[in-house]
Amino acid sequence: MTDLAIRTRRPAAPAAPTTAPDAVAERLLDTQSPQRPQVTPAFTIEVDGRQVTGHAGQTILEVCRDNGIEVPTLCFEPKLPGFGACRMCVVDVEGEEHPPISCSRSAEAGMVVQTQTPRLRQIRKTNLELIFSDHNAYCLPPCQNKCPSHIDIPGFLKANTEGNWHESARIFKRTIPFPSVLGRVCPAPCEEHCRRDEVEEAIAIRDSHRYAGDQVLKAQANGAPAPVPFELQRKSGKRVAVVGSGPAGMSAAYYLLIAGHDVTVFERDPAAGGMLRYGIPQYRLPKVEILEGEYEAVWQLGGKLVTNAALGRDFTLDDLQNQGFDAVCVAIGCYDTNKLGVPGEDADGVLDGLEYLKVATLGLPYPGHAGKRVVVIGGGFTSMDCSRTSVRQGAAEVTLVYRRDMKDMPAANEVHEMLEEGARAIFQAAPTRVLADDHDRVTGVEFQRMRLGAPDASGRRRPEPMPGTEFVIECDRVLLAIGQGPELDWVGRGAEGVTATKNKRLAADAVTFATGRRGVFGTGDVRIGASTVVQAVAEGRRAAYGIDAYLKGLDLDAIKTRQTLAEPQPEFLSIVPYADEVKEPRYRLTSMPADVRNKSYVEYEIPYTQRDAMAEAKRCLQCTCEAIGYCDLRRQGIEYGTTLKTLEPQNRGAYSFRSVTENRFTGANHDYIRDDSHAFILREPSRCIDCGRCANVCKEIVGAACYDFMRTGFDTLVTTPLDMSLNTTPCVSCGRCAETCPTGALMPKPRVLEKYDVDETRCILCGICVDACPYDALRCGPDFELTHDSRAEPMVDLMATSAIDRDSEVTFIRRERDWLVRAHESGRSLNAGVMLPVLPASIANGHGNGNGHGRGGHGQDGHGHDRHDHGGGAGGGRAHAR
Amino acid sequence: MHAGSAGTLADGRRRSDTALELLQAQRPSAWPRVLLDRAGRYDADGAFADAEAAGAWSVWREVMSTSPRAIIRIVSESRLRGRGGAGFPTGDKWRTCHNQTADQKYVVANGYEADPGALLDRTLMELDPHAVVEGVALAAYAVGATKAYVVVKSTYRTAVRRLENAIRGAEQAGYIGIDALGEGFDLQIELVELQGAAVLGEETTLLYALMGKKPLPEQRPPYPAVQGLWERPTVVNNVETLAAVPWIIANGSAAFAKIGAAESPGTTLVQLSGAVAHPGVVEVPLGTPLREIVEGVGGGVARGNLKALLVGGAPGGFLPADGLDIPLTFDALEAAGAGMGSGTILVVDDSACIVDVATLMTRFMNDEACGKTIPCRIGLKRLTEIGERFTSGLTRPTDLTVLRDLCADVRDSALCGHEYAATNPLLSGMRYFPQEFEDHIARGTCPAGVCRRLSVAAALA
Repeated sequence: MTDLAIRTRRPAAPAAPTTAPDAVAERLLDTQSPQRPQVTPAFTIEVDGRQVTGHAGQTILEVCRDNGIEVPTLCFEPKLPGFGACRMCVVDVEGEEHPPISCSRSAEAGMVVQTQTPRLRQIRKTNLELIFSDHNAYCLPPCQNKCPSHIDIPGFLKANTEGNWHESARIFKRTIPFPSVLGRVCPAPCEEHCRRDEVEEAIAIRDSHRYAGDQVLKAQANGAPAPVPFELQRKSGKRVAVVGSGPAGMSAAYYLLIAGHDVTVFERDPAAGGMLRYGIPQYRLPKVEILEGEYEAVWQLGGKLVTNAALGRDFTLDDLQNQGFDAVCVAIGCYDTNKLGVPGEDADGVLDGLEYLKVATLGLPYPGHAGKRVVVIGGGFTSMDCSRTSVRQGAAEVTLVYRRDMKDMPAANEVHEMLEEGARAIFQAAPTRVLADDHDRVTGVEFQRMRLGAPDASGRRRPEPMPGTEFVIECDRVLLAIGQGPELDWVGRGAEGVTATKNKRLAADAVTFATGRRGVFGTGDVRIGASTVVQAVAEGRRAAYGIDAYLKGLDLDAIKTRQTLAEPQPEFLSIVPYADEVKEPRYRLTSMPADVRNKSYVEYEIPYTQRDAMAEAKRCLQCTCEAIGYCDLRRQGIEYGTTLKTLEPQNRGAYSFRSVTENRFTGANHDYIRDDSHAFILREPSRCIDCGRCANVCKEIVGAACYDFMRTGFDTLVTTPLDMSLNTTPCVSCGRCAETCPTGALMPKPRVLEKYDVDETRCILCGICVDACPYDALRCGPDFELTHDSRAEPMVDLMATSAIDRDSEVTFIRRERDWLVRAHESGRSLNAGVMLPVLPASIANGHGNGNGHGRGGHGQDGHGHDRHDHGGGAGGGRAHAR
Repeated sequence: MHAGSAGTLADGRRRSDTALELLQAQRPSAWPRVLLDRAGRYDADGAFADAEAAGAWSVWREVMSTSPRAIIRIVSESRLRGRGGAGFPTGDKWRTCHNQTADQKYVVANGYEADPGALLDRTLMELDPHAVVEGVALAAYAVGATKAYVVVKSTYRTAVRRLENAIRGAEQAGYIGIDALGEGFDLQIELVELQGAAVLGEETTLLYALMGKKPLPEQRPPYPAVQGLWERPTVVNNVETLAAVPWIIANGSAAFAKIGAAESPGTTLVQLSGAVAHPGVVEVPLGTPLREIVEGVGGGVARGNLKALLVGGAPGGFLPADGLDIPLTFDALEAAGAGMGSGTILVVDDSACIVDVATLMTRFMNDEACGKTIPCRIGLKRLTEIGERFTSGLTRPTDLTVLRDLCADVRDSALCGHEYAATNPLLSGMRYFPQEFEDHIARGTCPAGVCRRLSVAAALA
């Protein structure tokens, strides 16, 4: 064991005081076994106006934490002395000019400490902003960011890979209650930003949850219970009226029911569903199997439905509140189709697109539609539905006209399907007047060409008319689908307090969803204007949290913070391309042939097979930050308001994002390559904040010293020497670096979506896998005897040690002692002085109780494996184990 | 500059083989000498006896019969202040260390001289290494240390050779070592060569390097005098501070206190560089107005007009041209936004752009940072970037506010002097030359015509 020889270093450290081995062991026992209560002298200091007790030798931080006063830290590792790199734990000590850091300053009697002055918070905020300005990373994966409802996409895809559809749907339902519905009607903003695109093509996220949702619905039809995302809360006894059974109202109802409230849904039409039922055609969303199936989950939770009851027509808000509803959630959507504002639009044959769809989605032919020449005006989903339904209803000729370019259409991805089915489309043209004959029947529409000007607030180029380019399309029917606003004529009458905004929306808070009237909340399209189903669902869910807080009597302002924490605004950046990933193209849904589907209302997309669904989910790169939820930086960033300003998208379009590095200090930042060469520890240096915790823990506690501060100045990074792979360092795969990392820079390697194959022909029986496996999934089998005999040193009985729980230092030493005794008895040669430097004589000579040994005294001869790596033999101890 | 023949200086002293040029010709003869009193009077590479004959180690035998407390009292009464830049009273530091109970104490002489543009400590160590070694011995005796380290930048080959010669000579003469002079006092002095970033000059960083660890600064308190090398009480003094101690013991504290300014007596080495007529190193009594140094000794600016002085090296502060009347003392310079720092005075003439120089200094400080703390690693980078935006005409509207706020936050949350002082160039530049910053930011012009990218940016706009 020459490794144990003390290396002389210049200048040399003073010779360590010579201590008897017993004393060392006793000290080990003292420091590593459960500590007795502090017996050092106590004193009192004042922290934030409170008198708290500290003990000699404690730092200010320790005193604060002992007394429940939170001081933020990033670089502080409780097992080690304060390091002082992050400067987050600054506190004010009375009488000192510059604020000291509390993790290094020892507390002294009579100190007067402030931990939360505005100046200190400013310093901490500056620090956080500086960190974020060089934090070239993301918290949520981009898909999850871009989803208005922030579904845990990597989570449900992971469940998909295992074919666990129930779990997949459950994860999905944590944020959206209707996986199958959304799997059909969602425009899938998530897929636009999928990082798999950097390999070859985005994951089919929508089709994946559609499949999972469908499987659950099938099981439900056979009597299985629907997955419930959260534990159901106890009944609160509060009653909530939800007005409107569209996506917003129903998701609000769903989460309110889970929260334990009694929910009654009021629907003006004969059946629940709102736009989902009356606005989206059957061929896109089967009403009975899918919509009613998913809604069934809400009724199963105890939701009650009152149909044919319209707000303003059949009841007022006063009525509802007089009936004893503790809260009212208004989610009536947008049904008031906008007018064209051109001459002649009142002519006979100019139809409201929504009215038309309502009839058509009931499966009824719209009167006199067959054989007509139809012009559809608009570029949204309604216009698409109008066109395609008209085709199915036998219109002679269907023309869609949109004033912007095709790529600017909200429903751009549906255009090709529409064209295949036989409709035609004209872009960059806007109506100037509607032509009618003497009987005021429509004969055609005059359009004017548009040119695309400068981009407007939505980021799309604004269409500008080009005079002199007028042309006429002759037609018999005109369907208007140029957007809708909410019907707000009920405001005022019996609804005092509720107001409308300037642009004719229901006025309600963006976070609490409270309107001007106490106990009345507004959510969904009625609040934000006509938008997508997924946005409406997100609105409904967030409103449910607001209403729940109101019913619990919480301060509505206070929940803003909580909501902000629960719904972080997207943060994303980056990133290093995935060059190494094996290419595997997207599994696409197939459609029925166009000439078949354009006559039919049957759902035209053919769903995945189970194999395809699982294979598609496996393509997911799982690029989420594993540290989310545990990340100190994120938590403090939110607390100090450095990462997000508001929940509302700010004039940047519905799916806008802010980069995490965007703040007043934005400048150069580092983009490091992640190192996933190690089997268990993933290093993502771009997420590193250089706190040094891993370096200190690895050096001081583990003894391996894999990391340190490398380079100088701005380029300093806590990394391995020469940025080498962890495999090349003395890493023992203990994972303590990942454990101490306050961010996601060092992580246990994330979900790997494949199983391992072991090539036994190449195994050299080194046992490293057994050593390193954190879950004891690998163990030494009988084959290890072959290697065992060739080793000089005796071995600890591995089977015995793996049979017991993680032991304390005392039991560990006892076990070593037992082994020693057995080794003596079996006459094996050993050198206790080298192998067991920590074994105190008192224990070594005593009699143990065989603690932890499930097998007899002869067991050690069988399947042994060395577990020594203590003391100075950190290197040597392992070396002889190999 | 050298009036005498080769090998001999103007005042008849032997010229050393040092490459340094001392500003002897212009130095007023009335200025007393403390640090370089013996410089050139003996061959620093020569025999120990020569140095002894020139007056080195003259007080050591006498000191051995004095109590350490008396030595500390003499140093305290002389009001000697640390020459490393901060100006901490040396006597207080020694007393703190002396009062500690420990099995081992250390003395560390900091001759690392972090500022790459400074040659002061090098001059001292090359010209009178014995003064440094004797000072170390006196400090060790006063605080009760038995082990001392003299830290030198390893590129200072001459200084290393001469210090080794001095230490070896003293050991062979029995002045230090086991049972020095038979008085029962053990002292081992070790010369340590280090090389690294500028932040190594910071005392806690230096101690970490000495212990063989990654040189990162450590939070103070506890100060090294209480808990330093290997957690033992350690006195860390600049070599210049230590070199003054033998003179103080020999001539008495009253004689020392009479020299220079009342609150910071004694002399110090000053280096004139930049656009000055006679650059070089000179020993100056503290309290001397800068005018006498820059114009009297340095001969004023070489050409053009004096625009500013950057006092204290890279982390120093700018003084305007009318700041020439500020006396060279710790307190006066601190109040004016500069500092003694490394002891260099960079003379800036009107062909230089203050914004440009300040940015350059900030960038240097960022590059030389150890990277331990956030405000230093990223904060200084952001300050540099703001400065670079000023000089390239890409200023953001918020930059000036951000610059001020960030400087204040960096100073308040600073771990060591490096990051604290790194804000000096930009802050003092803004304080004394607001017009020049205004020109860069608001008008996009550089009065000195240095920042060429400004005109490019203006042309593009």
